[in-house]
Amino acid sequence: MNIHIGDCRGGKVVAISGEIDMYSSPELREQMMNLIGQRISNMLIDFRQVSYIDSSGIATFVEGLKSMKNYGGRLRFFGIPQGIMEIFSFSKLDRVFEIYGNIDDAINS
Amino acid sequence: MAKKVYLKDSETLKVLKKKVDALKILSEISAIISSTFDLDELLTIVMEKAKGVMNAEACSILLYNKETKKLEFEVALCREKATSEILKKKITLDLGQGIAGWVAEKREILIIGDVRKDRRFFQEADNITGFVTKSIIAAPLIGRRGLIGVAEIINPKKKEYDLEVLQILIRHFAIAIENAFFYKDAIERERLKQELEIASSLQKSFLPDSPSFSKALITVSAVNIPAKQVGGDLYDYLDLSGHRMGVFIGDVSGKGVTAALFMAKIISDFRYAAGAEKTPDAVMNRLNLLFSRAPRGMFLTATYLIIDAFAGILDISVAGHPPCLWITGNNVEALSVDSGPPLGIIPEKYLSERVTLSRGDRIILLTDGVFEARNKKGHMIGFGNLVKFVKDHVREGHLPQKIADYVRDFSKSVEISDDLTIVEVGYGYEGAQHG
Repeated sequence: MNIHIGDCRGGKVVAISGEIDMYSSPELREQMMNLIGQRISNMLIDFRQVSYIDSSGIATFVEGLKSMKNYGGRLRFFGIPQGIMEIFSFSKLDRVFEIYGNIDDAINS
Repeated sequence: MAKKVYLKDSETLKVLKKKVDALKILSEISAIISSTFDLDELLTIVMEKAKGVMNAEACSILLYNKETKKLEFEVALCREKATSEILKKKITLDLGQGIAGWVAEKREILIIGDVRKDRRFFQEADNITGFVTKSIIAAPLIGRRGLIGVAEIINPKKKEYDLEVLQILIRHFAIAIENAFFYKDAIERERLKQELEIASSLQKSFLPDSPSFSKALITVSAVNIPAKQVGGDLYDYLDLSGHRMGVFIGDVSGKGVTAALFMAKIISDFRYAAGAEKTPDAVMNRLNLLFSRAPRGMFLTATYLIIDAFAGILDISVAGHPPCLWITGNNVEALSVDSGPPLGIIPEKYLSERVTLSRGDRIILLTDGVFEARNKKGHMIGFGNLVKFVKDHVREGHLPQKIADYVRDFSKSVEISDDLTIVEVGYGYEGAQHG
């Protein structure tokens, strides 16, 4: 898994590539919680290059979501590949996270 | 008879004395670096020795990260501790970048008397740390499995040294570092193995003592196969007041000890809630509230059903868990229930739905490990294929075991990465009609 953090219109875009699983999620958690520690008001997660996510990876985002809600921040996802989207729909996680097709829709929401 | 050799040439004597001194240092260092398998301790010893031998201002080791394909500062010894910390935190190099990158790429030792005259010199490190590099000796650390990293001796005051001896020394360093890596990996593997054994026995202790249970017209049978990494599957059945019976299945996020410990809390909270509440939705609402403070974003997908053991009336509530299969006659369908999200994430009002079973009907509850199992080619079974398999074997008995065998057969020669749990609830079900 690789993580690239960039800026976009006042928010942070976290672009992830590869697999988010029990081995790689601690690194993702460290980077996300570091941004959350700075009270980032908008965080967008770019899923376009994510090939796989397991429940450890989802739990990392749940922790991020809860932490951001505490101070009024927003966590948004975009570019989720179809296979991963099916997991999100099947588990009703599409009712938990804000999910958008592309970065513009996510920013303008 | 051996000839006596008289050495009169003072130059030769000098050279020999130097060799002997160098070999003394070599054997001393070899003994020291062979005395520890602790990677951090070893790297520090190696750098201190290299610094001492060359009378250098600073020394550093950059280790090659095979995943990121970058060189990362692991140890830097200089007078200023802060400089070492900055290097470790902030600076990584690509292969080919800077002197260390060049050395790693070409796998050649490089001795530069004045770095300012060398275009390969990476100024950034000095800019960030405030350290001034004047001269450098950089050597690749090559082990049995290829590149380990690069050792740098910075601003060595000693101008006269035996290059051959230095190269032998570097080779010693590389072998010692590689051995320490192997040792660290072995210790880590052993620790993980022990943790997984603890998690596995913890997980087993939370599940019902017997894989089958019956009350009036209801029979329940379960199959649970924990994965090597120990996932977070759990199931439970309860004999409730009146003619009722409760059946619960869940899947905790994550794996290993963390998931097993969270399961302990879930099982005790569930049993308490199931005793206190009358309907599945009330149990789910209570559990959602209890898990909302779970650490590290942990959550639970679950299905809970309460069934009247005489009338076959079933109330069911679902929290982000895969659908159950309803077998009635030869027909198999996914039970369509309005599901809420997994428990412990957001405030939610969960609902129950009612289904009336006919005698001979069965409900199959399962976890996602069943249909997300993969084969050698990386293909998943998929929910649709699982339904098809059940349809093809609907008239046979021991369905939970047959499904588990089907998954194992599909994933043969691939390690099953998630737990499998299959629970069958039969209402007036007499068992297999044949087979």
